[in-house]
Order: sequence, then C-alpha cells, then structure tokens
Amino acid sequence: MKFTNRQFGELEFEDNHVVTFPDGLIGFEQFRKFLIVDDEATEPFRWLVSVEDGGLSFPLLDPGLLLPGYAADAATGGEKTVFVVATLRSAAGGSTVNLRSPIVIDNGARTAHQLILDDEGLPLQFPLAPSSPQKAGR
Amino acid sequence: MLILARKGEEEIRIGDNIVIKVLGIHNGQVKLGIDAPRDVRVVRGELYREIQQANVEASHADRGAAVQAAAGLKRPT
Repeated sequence: MKFTNRQFGELEFEDNHVVTFPDGLIGFEQFRKFLIVDDEATEPFRWLVSVEDGGLSFPLLDPGLLLPGYAADAATGGEKTVFVVATLRSAAGGSTVNLRSPIVIDNGARTAHQLILDDEGLPLQFPLAPSSPQKAGR
Repeated sequence: MLILARKGEEEIRIGDNIVIKVLGIHNGQVKLGIDAPRDVRVVRGELYREIQQANVEASHADRGAAVQAAAGLKRPT
C-alpha cells in the first residue's frame, strides 16, 4: 500500500509493517495505524508516521542511547521495543525527550501503547543537550 | 456531566469494576481512593494534559530540526 506523508513524500508499506495503537497516542486518539520509518538523514532519530494522516509524524529515539536500563524498566514481559518521543526545538540544547510516557511496541503482535509511567520523577522534558550529565552508553 | 454529592467514606461505582471512594477531606483537598482494572488508565488530569501538549509539540518536528538535533547528539563532549 502507498500513502503520502508531508515530510517523506510517497511511502510504500506492507500491511505487516503497520504498528497498531488500539488507543492511539495521548491527544491523538483518532489515529491508530503507524509505521516506524528509519531515516538515514536524521539517524539516530526514527519517525512514527501515521498512515491515516499524511501530516502526522513524531520523532522517536531509542532511550538506550540516553539512559541504559530505562527500556527494561518501562516495559516488562515478552518482546518489546521501547521508544521515547522527542520534541525538537531550534534553540541550541532545547530539544527534549518525554521519559514519562514512552511508546512500547509489542514486537510479536505489532501493537503499541503510549504508557504513562508511575514514577513521578521521570521528566516530560528530559534535555538532549550533549552537556547533560548522563554518560553515553557504557 | 453527572454531578453527585458524596461524604467521607462514601463511594461511587462506575461500571462493574471501578470504585472511587472519598477517603477524606482536609483543607479544601479531597483524598480519593480508586480501584480500577489494570488496563484502565488512572492519572491526574493535569499530567494527561501535559502529555497531550508534549505530543502536539513533538508532532511539529521536521526532518531539518532532527538533523540538527542528531548532530548535537553525536558531538563529542
């Protein structure tokens, strides 16, 4: 199947590549079907791209790049992939990721949810700035 | 919207599986106990709105901004 996205132009996909969010994303409940797009130009950011609304996409980041251990805490049971949603701001060091409500994908069922984690210490705006104190990997 | 008056220790039941109990009222603050199935999301309204807002802002990103942010990530510290 094919669709056109504002940023990526025409994208072709197989049905089994679609990730279904039964509840949508928070604030975007009406959109259920997304693709994960790997974009070489923006690596390591990937994109959650709606197949239902050609204008809708979210930049994602593997939280392991920032916080080893985060993904294992966020998702338990079965084969899961965890992403955090990034907010990109043009001001230097202004970009952040939302650690409070990650995207958790069930790799087998290809369903996903945006969770709200119980830990109130997890920020909705965790800075991506390279000067942040977190070490990169091990 | 359904409006109900409840006193301390009184409950409201929503469907078969959700119970909201007034645990106490002190200094204008109501403490509620909520029992709901695990798949029912229970969060403070303001947190939900903050996450909505974060998602809306995230959805405004374009590839140019991502290229820039990626370069910032890769820069050695």
